[in-house]
Amino acid sequence: MSTTAPAMTGPAAAPAPALRGRRTERVAGFAYLAVAPTLLVVLLVVGVPLGYSFFLSLNRTNPITKRWIFVGLQNYTALLHSTDLLQALGRTAYFAAFSVIGTTLLGGVFALVLNERFAGRGVLRSIVLVPWAMAPISVGVLWSFLFAGEFGAINGLLNDLGLSALATPWLGNGFRALNLLALVHVWNQAPLTALMLLAGLQSMPASLHKAAMLDGAGPVRRFLSITLPWLKPNLMFISIIATINALMAFDVLWALTRGGPGNATTVLAWLGYLMSFQFFKFGEGAAVLYVLTAISFVLAIFYFVVLGPRRGGAPAPAGTLAGLPGARRVRSMAVLPPFRPRRGWLPPATARAAARIGFWGVTALVLIWSAWPVVALLLMSLMPGADLIRTPATFLPSTLTLHNFIAVLMPDTVAAVNTSVQAQRVPFSLLNSFIVGAVVAVVSVALGTLAGYAFSRNAKARTFQAALWGLLLTRMTPALTLVLPYFIGFRVLGLIDTRLALIISYCSFLLPLSAWMMRSYFEGVPLSLDRAALIDGCSRAKMLWKILLPVARPGVVATAIFCFLASWNEFLFALILTSTPKAQTIPVILAGFLSQAQFYTYGPLFAATVLSIAPPVAVAFLFQRYLVQGALSGAVKG
Amino acid sequence: MASISIRNVSKSYGRTPVLHRLEIDIADGEFVSFLGPSGCGKSTLLFCIAGLEEITVGEIRLGDRAMGRTPPRDRNIALVFQDYALYPHMRVRDNIAFPLLQQSIAAETVRGQVAWAAELLGLETLLDRLPAELSGGQRQRVAVGRAIVRNPAALLMDEPLSNLDASLRVRMRTEIKRLQKELGLTVVFVTHDQEEAMVLSDRIAVLDGGVLQQFAEPMTVYREPANQFVASFIGSPQMNFLPGPMAGGALDDRSLLGVRPHDLVPVHRAPDGVLAVEGTLALVEPAGPVTYLDVALADGSLVKATCADPRGHQPGERLTLAVPRHRVSIFDAASGVRTGALAVATGEDSNDMKAMAHGL
Ligand SMILES: Nc1ncnc2c1ncn2[C@@H]1O[C@H](COP(=O)(O)OP(=O)(O)OP(=O)(O)O)[C@@H](O)[C@H]1O
Ligand SMILES: [Mg+2]
Repeated sequence: MSTTAPAMTGPAAAPAPALRGRRTERVAGFAYLAVAPTLLVVLLVVGVPLGYSFFLSLNRTNPITKRWIFVGLQNYTALLHSTDLLQALGRTAYFAAFSVIGTTLLGGVFALVLNERFAGRGVLRSIVLVPWAMAPISVGVLWSFLFAGEFGAINGLLNDLGLSALATPWLGNGFRALNLLALVHVWNQAPLTALMLLAGLQSMPASLHKAAMLDGAGPVRRFLSITLPWLKPNLMFISIIATINALMAFDVLWALTRGGPGNATTVLAWLGYLMSFQFFKFGEGAAVLYVLTAISFVLAIFYFVVLGPRRGGAPAPAGTLAGLPGARRVRSMAVLPPFRPRRGWLPPATARAAARIGFWGVTALVLIWSAWPVVALLLMSLMPGADLIRTPATFLPSTLTLHNFIAVLMPDTVAAVNTSVQAQRVPFSLLNSFIVGAVVAVVSVALGTLAGYAFSRNAKARTFQAALWGLLLTRMTPALTLVLPYFIGFRVLGLIDTRLALIISYCSFLLPLSAWMMRSYFEGVPLSLDRAALIDGCSRAKMLWKILLPVARPGVVATAIFCFLASWNEFLFALILTSTPKAQTIPVILAGFLSQAQFYTYGPLFAATVLSIAPPVAVAFLFQRYLVQGALSGAVKG
Repeated sequence: MASISIRNVSKSYGRTPVLHRLEIDIADGEFVSFLGPSGCGKSTLLFCIAGLEEITVGEIRLGDRAMGRTPPRDRNIALVFQDYALYPHMRVRDNIAFPLLQQSIAAETVRGQVAWAAELLGLETLLDRLPAELSGGQRQRVAVGRAIVRNPAALLMDEPLSNLDASLRVRMRTEIKRLQKELGLTVVFVTHDQEEAMVLSDRIAVLDGGVLQQFAEPMTVYREPANQFVASFIGSPQMNFLPGPMAGGALDDRSLLGVRPHDLVPVHRAPDGVLAVEGTLALVEPAGPVTYLDVALADGSLVKATCADPRGHQPGERLTLAVPRHRVSIFDAASGVRTGALAVATGEDSNDMKAMAHGL
């Protein structure tokens, strides 16, 4: 590739003749214009806060006098000597290892099942996506009631099945709580891994497996020799993203255990949160979170080195004439043992039947794993309040009622006389969530498309490569590290407790994602299309709008969906940056609900949770195709 | 090596029928091409033979074994895919060795056999490259190497040359033919390219819409096409079809005469034993060794003829075209089936042609 992008000289700029043999690529001014907003936003809203929080970590505040003292690296050295940190580090490592291994194995099984052709595959794909599409805070609410000791649904089900002996307060034991917490995280995150693996599987040419079959390889050998190596590049991204998401897991923790019992589930992220926002030791908190950030960068680099693309290799062949066949003949064919059809331990017909039964068995398990908790939530939201506090607990409702939904949707009606304060806030918070999500989706798709286009068309230019890596780096920056500088910044600007603050924050971390996704999408659009449009007299902007955008529509839809879901589900920023119902989104209301839950508000709480997951579930069902496609870009937000 | 016999095989994808009651017997060591328009079911038939697709009706036998639902890995059949299907993450060496490693064969033997295949195909210097680092022709050779390395019962190739440039194509097809002769392979070769099929094959099976049209030696398919479809599909430019009464004699409108452009030449005076037609020269198309002449007949239809030397021919000029009567095929106009030729072939073909050319 030695052609350069033409400079834009006017509305009807014709492509300049290709300049051959130049080492550096000339980049069109349009390209700089296109990436500028994204880079600016990223620099301002990620770079600056990151720097600021590093500065914070070098200081200490006195919570009483609110005085700042510069202490250099003291926060860090103090951390090194504290057992709190070491213990949290150990728990974090355990939690992360459990989650990464769990999501990868489970996601792998999901992807393999969902890659087969069978009746109902599309529906199963959507169902499998639901746990991931839900907000982690909703996931937390859901599982906290499944695990609950006295009235919990799991214990209820065990009672119903006559297994009362097994019923137990699930989160009561420290180590078990850590494991269950990781399991819930896996439940939430495995579909994401599955999505990305599925995208990889779908891009694999069918002929590879057919060829291997003919070469005599059985299913296991084919999986190991063909499928796994094919997925290796995907696995790199998947490991990076799974690790970061595990290190940063916060929402589920907040809803389920809050670091307890004792400090059995206090991982680094929680420790940083506690220090900063419970004890208001901003400096020490920032130091903890900076350690976390450093770990995630180091791990990302580690994965890149271990699983990354092989560099260099033999040079491309100079010509097709190299080594023409049949020049000289010395060797003769080896004497091969005669071909013996393999002798399986099962007759072929039995083996086929067993394989079918096995497949449907696994498919049924996948279905139950993904759907049962959600169905349980739906049932609980339709139960009369009294059903939820029966002892011994039972899973079967006495009747079904819409009372809970009326209570949260129409808090002024008679049916809802004794609803809680939180319940009354649900409708408005849904509206807030919707406005924020829609604006964020529109803004980040608009800017991300521009940037993604410029990145895809200038992939060779140094500046753009550097900028792209910069974007990827922001993808690895934990939100927890950013939230404190944001809080301080927005307070200075007087934007605390506004939807605008949320929109700005979400755009800041979704813009890189959307630029990244659109870049991979545009890379699949041939350059000749640009050239044809330019020759036909389009300006750059018009070409992008009239020609490329329609072609890239599926990518735009996928990106918009990801952005909307991410902001609809976001909890941490919403929790810190809002304080009144004016701007609170539904996850914050759910969290408030959960912490104040009285026995008579469980029903409305479940109804609100169902409402909070309704849009994501609808998206999973309506746009499943786009989601699989979008996952191909390999940079999906957790 | 083994023979392949396809008996009464039908195949449908769901409700879409793709193959219809095929009967093809391929002898041990024979080179057979499947030829037909796009979508006629050539690849599907190969996949059925290999066991990658199940057949709906009928039976496929390899040697003396009926295949039934034998899985592909137990058939010992090698297939060269149209897109080569090289394992992208394996070096050329490992790609070629892969089928051997699936059988329990000593490492030493595997190494020797890979070296043999590499030498045979001129791949020695490329063994440590990845498929992505090879040119199209080199990839194709690797794919062939992977197919022959384990001495398969039959070698199937699905348009293996379609991605190559013209000169490489010609060279590769010579290679394939040489390999087949040397190793005594039973080869089934799928192609769009009739010239390739003619040059390579012992016999050609012409398919259309999943139905076998003709299965015969290349020259037979060319000279005695079983029906109008085969007649017009094989040979370029296409065969001319003339109304039956033009031959005089007993033929009426229910017959069509098929004349290949290469058999139809301009003459001054039609000698005995030829079919002559008159017309006006409409267009002269030089095509290298021969020149095509488009001639408008009295009824307004155009026929294509050939001549060796275009000099002296001007559009608008009246021409007499002649073709030896035994080179004229007769088709039933309704069914399209070939019913015979205008005359039985006598003596040497080439002498007739020379005589006519001299008469010019
Ligand atoms: N998996 C499938 N499901 C349904 N129909 C199919 C499937 N695969 C192929 N077909 C249909 O079967 C017919 C034969 O396909 P096949 O690939 O065998 O054609 P072909 O002769 O190899 O064509 P080409 O020369 O273009 O490769 C086509 O009409 C195709 O549309
Ligand atoms: Mg085909």
